[in-house]
Amino acid sequence: MRSIPVTAEGTAVAATEPGLADRATASRPVLEIDALSVRFSTPDGEIPAVNDFSLAIRAGECVGVVGESGAGKSQSFLAVMGLLASNATVTGNARFDGRELLGRPASELNEVRGSRLAMIFQDPMTSLTPHMKVGEQIAESLVRHRKMPSAQARARALALLNRVHVTDAERRLDQYPHELSGGMRQRVMIAVALACDPVMLIADEPTTALDVTIQAQILALLAELKREQDTAMVLITHDLGVVAGIADRVAVMYGGRVVELGTVRQVLKSPRHPYTQALLRSMPRVDDAADAPLVTIPGQPPNPRSLPPGCAFHPRCQHAQELCRRERPPLLERDGTWLACHFPVELVDLGALGALGAPMSTLAAAAPEMPS
Amino acid sequence: MTDSLLSLRGLSVWFPVGDRLFGRKAMLHAVEGVDLELRAGEALGIVGESGCGKSTLVRAILQLVRPTHGQVVWMGRRIEELPMNEVRPLRRDMQIVFQDPLASLNPRMTIGEIVAEPLRVHRPELDAAGRRREVEAILMRVGLSADIINRYPHEFSGGQCQRIGIARAMVLRPKLLICDEPVSALDVSIQAQIVNLLKELKRDFGMTIVFVSHNLAVVRRLCERVLVLYLGRTMELALTDDLYSRPLHPYTRGLLAAVPIPDPDLQPARLGTSLGGELPSPLSPPSGCVFRTRCPHAAPQCAREVPVFKHIEADRWIACLRWHELPADPGYGKPRAAGQQKASP
Repeated sequence: MRSIPVTAEGTAVAATEPGLADRATASRPVLEIDALSVRFSTPDGEIPAVNDFSLAIRAGECVGVVGESGAGKSQSFLAVMGLLASNATVTGNARFDGRELLGRPASELNEVRGSRLAMIFQDPMTSLTPHMKVGEQIAESLVRHRKMPSAQARARALALLNRVHVTDAERRLDQYPHELSGGMRQRVMIAVALACDPVMLIADEPTTALDVTIQAQILALLAELKREQDTAMVLITHDLGVVAGIADRVAVMYGGRVVELGTVRQVLKSPRHPYTQALLRSMPRVDDAADAPLVTIPGQPPNPRSLPPGCAFHPRCQHAQELCRRERPPLLERDGTWLACHFPVELVDLGALGALGAPMSTLAAAAPEMPS
Repeated sequence: MTDSLLSLRGLSVWFPVGDRLFGRKAMLHAVEGVDLELRAGEALGIVGESGCGKSTLVRAILQLVRPTHGQVVWMGRRIEELPMNEVRPLRRDMQIVFQDPLASLNPRMTIGEIVAEPLRVHRPELDAAGRRREVEAILMRVGLSADIINRYPHEFSGGQCQRIGIARAMVLRPKLLICDEPVSALDVSIQAQIVNLLKELKRDFGMTIVFVSHNLAVVRRLCERVLVLYLGRTMELALTDDLYSRPLHPYTRGLLAAVPIPDPDLQPARLGTSLGGELPSPLSPPSGCVFRTRCPHAAPQCAREVPVFKHIEADRWIACLRWHELPADPGYGKPRAAGQQKASP
């Protein structure tokens, strides 16, 4: 599945582990992803889904990974978990607790997956086993990984259901997933993931299928877990509002690459990549009374099959110049943020952009510099 | 009323469910006693959680489901009693755009055939050349090129398919355009394009829009009035600005507080403030006010008395027994403070 790690051209930059620089004194990373690339071989040729993805996540930290469909955000972490389809080729490194995950056989990965490194998915109905009772699904990993006697595992399953605030937990233990609501199922899935006290939780669009009120409840639960259990977390989402409440740092992906990485304040309050800026401006906000048309990003997210040359965002970018069409910008650190852009936008406080209606170019020129 | 395009009077839609073996059938009250006056030329948003009856309500307007009780008055004429063959001609003036753009286009028809189909049905006087002219004009109007008429839906992205769906609905220049979650399946950067397109079309053609969505931020951008539904009942109806800046119903407040805002200074504090619990089963709704089981302000009277959907001030209706004695709203939907909103060099 995985070929020998290669140091492709351009990885020298990424190999400096973006994200470590901004907190030199912080604890050792739980998960270190280095120059990860994912390629799918199809009858139509190779499809590069993820290119040169590097990220380090520390204990107790939540990193939001944001992007639209096809940006490579899910594939990156499915690769780390060894869950990709069989036509995928993965290169690079992913060290979890100092041990390499990539290229290890399923039998070895299974010691880590579901115990110390857990993942929750978007659709709890298809990720839970339909013919197993909820209690058994939670207890399964305890019996398997911890060799816990089943009575004890059941007691722990009950405690976990209470932990994730499932009402009427005793009765739920003996129910099947189809008897639960979507929000309840997602709580059960989180309970399954938490069963063996993981040091890291990867949440792939955990609230996308849920109603906005239930989404708020699940996000509050994830925030609580992060606060109280010091679990490292990756939150993969297309919704910048979702990361704003929980994430410490945010990585924005486009066309299979990280284009901006920084603290949640840097990325959401003073984004410097034109894509991040445009994405924030194109999102209507519930607290924004403006009546002007939304700022749109022309075109659509690129298909990984046919990525534009140079910077993948250049066909949709208002700042694009000849260089952007020709040369792919490397991910470089600038003023504490990691950016892949030849012409990053000047530091601007997005809160000061007001009605969000003015064209980007004038805003970039007119807006005052943000005090740091 | 002269400016009323459509009124719903005591509209209820019930579905029989359950135990057919022993002949006991329960009734699921999907929509219950909705009164609504739709004004010509307005954009009305209908919001609420899944299962609140949003889609059933708009399907009942189109007579895609027939109401169990109540009246649907379309341009002065009761249409819920009409036989289907008399309803169909009316659909020339009421069209719908669905959520899933690809699934709502027939994969074996070309774009030209798809967009021309309403013309074949409702404007038989047009010949092929006339239809083609209309189809090309509307395709260009929704931001597509006219030369796509011989291509098939699978060749297009989600956003483009939604434009095709809008072209099909608009080709007849309907008086009423119903949009059922039209941007929910689209990427963030594409949603804004579709919202802007709908706004432009409304400006140019002046049609009335009913916009069903669970995305309250999108509704705020597009709609002039908003109706909040819960378990098939109307909770609050107000002008958009009033509803967002001064929500009165506890459910409206809970919905607004739940919408995430991409601002790390505001969003963490909002996380703990959302509504608890989940939508109760519509088969056994709570007594009295159906929202009381999740309402932070519920009092004993809320279990006994069904709140009437009351006209409490200009352009504002609410179904809450205690709305006048509730504490002021924390203001999650209010515009950001002036200092944050304006550039201050």
